[in-house]
Amino acid sequence: MSGVTLSNIRKTYGELAAVDDVSIEIRDGELLALLGPSGCGKTTTLRMIAGFVAPTAGTIRFGERDVTSIPVHKRNVGMVFQGYALFPHLTVAKNVEFGLRVRSWDKERKARRVAEMLRWVQLDALAERSPRALSGGQQQRVALARAMAIEPDVLLLDEPFSALDAKLRTQMRKEIRDLQQDAGITSVFVTHDQAEAMAIADRIGVMSHGKLEQLGSAEDLYKRPVSRFVAGFIGKCNFVEGRVVGAQRFESAEGLALQFGGEHAAGAAALCFRPEHAVLEAGAPASGNSLPVTVKSVTYLGPSTDFEVLSDSGQTLLVSAASGTGHAPSSVAPGQKLRLNWRPEDSFVVA
Amino acid sequence: MREGRNWGGASLVLPAFVLVAAFLLAPLALILRYSFDLHDPIKLMKGVFSTQNYVQAVADPFYQDVLLTTANIAALSTVIVMLLAFPVAYYISRLESQRLRGWLIILTVLPLLLGNAVRSAAWMIVMGTKGVANALLLSVGLIEEPIKILYTPTAVVIGLVSVLLPFAIITLQSVMDSIPSSLEEAGQSLGHSPLRTVYGVVLPLAMPGVAAAAAICFALAMNAYATPVLIGGPTMQMMGPVVYGQIAKANNWPFGSTLACILMFVTLVLTIVSTRFLSRKYF
Ligand SMILES: Nc1ncnc2c1ncn2[C@@H]1O[C@H](COP(=O)(O)OP(=O)(O)O)[C@@H](O)[C@H]1O
Ligand SMILES: [Mg+2]
Repeated sequence: MSGVTLSNIRKTYGELAAVDDVSIEIRDGELLALLGPSGCGKTTTLRMIAGFVAPTAGTIRFGERDVTSIPVHKRNVGMVFQGYALFPHLTVAKNVEFGLRVRSWDKERKARRVAEMLRWVQLDALAERSPRALSGGQQQRVALARAMAIEPDVLLLDEPFSALDAKLRTQMRKEIRDLQQDAGITSVFVTHDQAEAMAIADRIGVMSHGKLEQLGSAEDLYKRPVSRFVAGFIGKCNFVEGRVVGAQRFESAEGLALQFGGEHAAGAAALCFRPEHAVLEAGAPASGNSLPVTVKSVTYLGPSTDFEVLSDSGQTLLVSAASGTGHAPSSVAPGQKLRLNWRPEDSFVVA
Repeated sequence: MREGRNWGGASLVLPAFVLVAAFLLAPLALILRYSFDLHDPIKLMKGVFSTQNYVQAVADPFYQDVLLTTANIAALSTVIVMLLAFPVAYYISRLESQRLRGWLIILTVLPLLLGNAVRSAAWMIVMGTKGVANALLLSVGLIEEPIKILYTPTAVVIGLVSVLLPFAIITLQSVMDSIPSSLEEAGQSLGHSPLRTVYGVVLPLAMPGVAAAAAICFALAMNAYATPVLIGGPTMQMMGPVVYGQIAKANNWPFGSTLACILMFVTLVLTIVSTRFLSRKYF
């Protein structure tokens, strides 16, 4: 097993750069998520790692081995396809055995490996079934066992949970994560669902328009997004337009003085804060950021209550108050004029 | 509930069923009946029931020979057609450009619009001693004397292959369209070369289509008429023309019917046996 290194890989289709100068060092045994909206180049990146798509430029290495020009069937990658792509004419066991057919192993050794893999995904009882007779979750486990049977250098999964219903999806997430950790295999999975990426990935690469916007842990991305796109894509975020006027000092478009943590070059920018970091109160605090707002809507969600408020400049901002923390004023009603308060250290600025 | 629905469905297909019965089964039954009758020079048929025709046909070395030749040529043509059609159908089915796909499919079925006799006539021009093929081979220097192609079994096989190829390609292509290419990608990611993936994934999944296409081709070849007559020439004897000769030339309807029934029976048995063999091998 090994890490995977993508160095400045590009893929262009005519004028369109589907993947544009992406470099990622995927660590040995790491589970990396490629996250981004539809059409941002995730699948193309994954397919370049697999070998189905040849990069227009750049190199791909598995450990020290340069695999850029090696065809799929010699790359030794395990792939779990979006619709699983199980062979309908073969039993579950034969599906898992398929990749071993090209090995010169003796029959017994192959059988042992198949049994081992089926036990690993807890499907030994269904070995002789047709994959068509299995549930979605079971099919996915067969696909995983089949991909892992060949002892691949890297495991690739394209939107592995998208064919499952919501409840099963959460369960399979955890299962796949446990199995991946158990095998200790370097893995890349593609998703457009940020919650999914945050739930199971060691690190997340956020992509937009073919470019890698940011690479980091879920916490990095949430707390220290480097761009407006990442701030808005990972969780919900409020943006106050304005400019940076000095060290940690920001002036909103309406001329209100605000403060932020961290550093940012002077000039036009947006100050951001998360809905759960803001509180609605009657007055402004002695120090800290504060905006006069009018309540637009109140939504009680159980664990939290969400408020939509309107700033004086007419911008909609979000506030989320966790239930039971005393931060959720029960009496807030639409139309009420209040202050939206939040701490400078919970604020960051993006260009 | 289920019973009622079945009856509703049955009543819907009833008109079609009656039509099929009238146009297909009735003539078949008639021919089956004739085949047990005996020839009468004046009344055409004696109106008796006898197995004499069958005994005579089966025992006659001439008809044994014709049947064997027919089966051999049909089988050989079918095998060649399937070997040629499979890669072509695969290529068409995996084309990314829908335009090119459309054009190739049209190109494939285009010869069917010409009709059998016209195409056979074209082959005669190509394969004659002074034909295009010989002229070409002579000018390239591959041969020194014109070779005899027309009026040989080889010519008949070539003619039949050209007739059957479009049917096989279209049948196989539509079957391959239904095989998702992600299955091939899965095969390749598991270490199988593209060629091996076609053999290990596409072929077994396409097997029902291969069997169907082969059955159609074999049946058409067994019953071919224009091709053996025009390209095979007077010495080349196949069942189709022989049956026609009995009925239309010798006016012996009962014996012609007997030969037709034997041809049908042999075709059916060979088709069923070989399809069974293919499906046993792959499922
Ligand atoms: N074979 C192809 N030919 C032309 N354009 C393609 C091809 N594959 C992908 N693209 C384009 O590249 C971009 C990225 O696609 P993709 O990697 O599938 O995005 P994602 O998986 O993030 O949704 C899209 O705009 C898509 O239309
Ligand atoms: Mg995709």
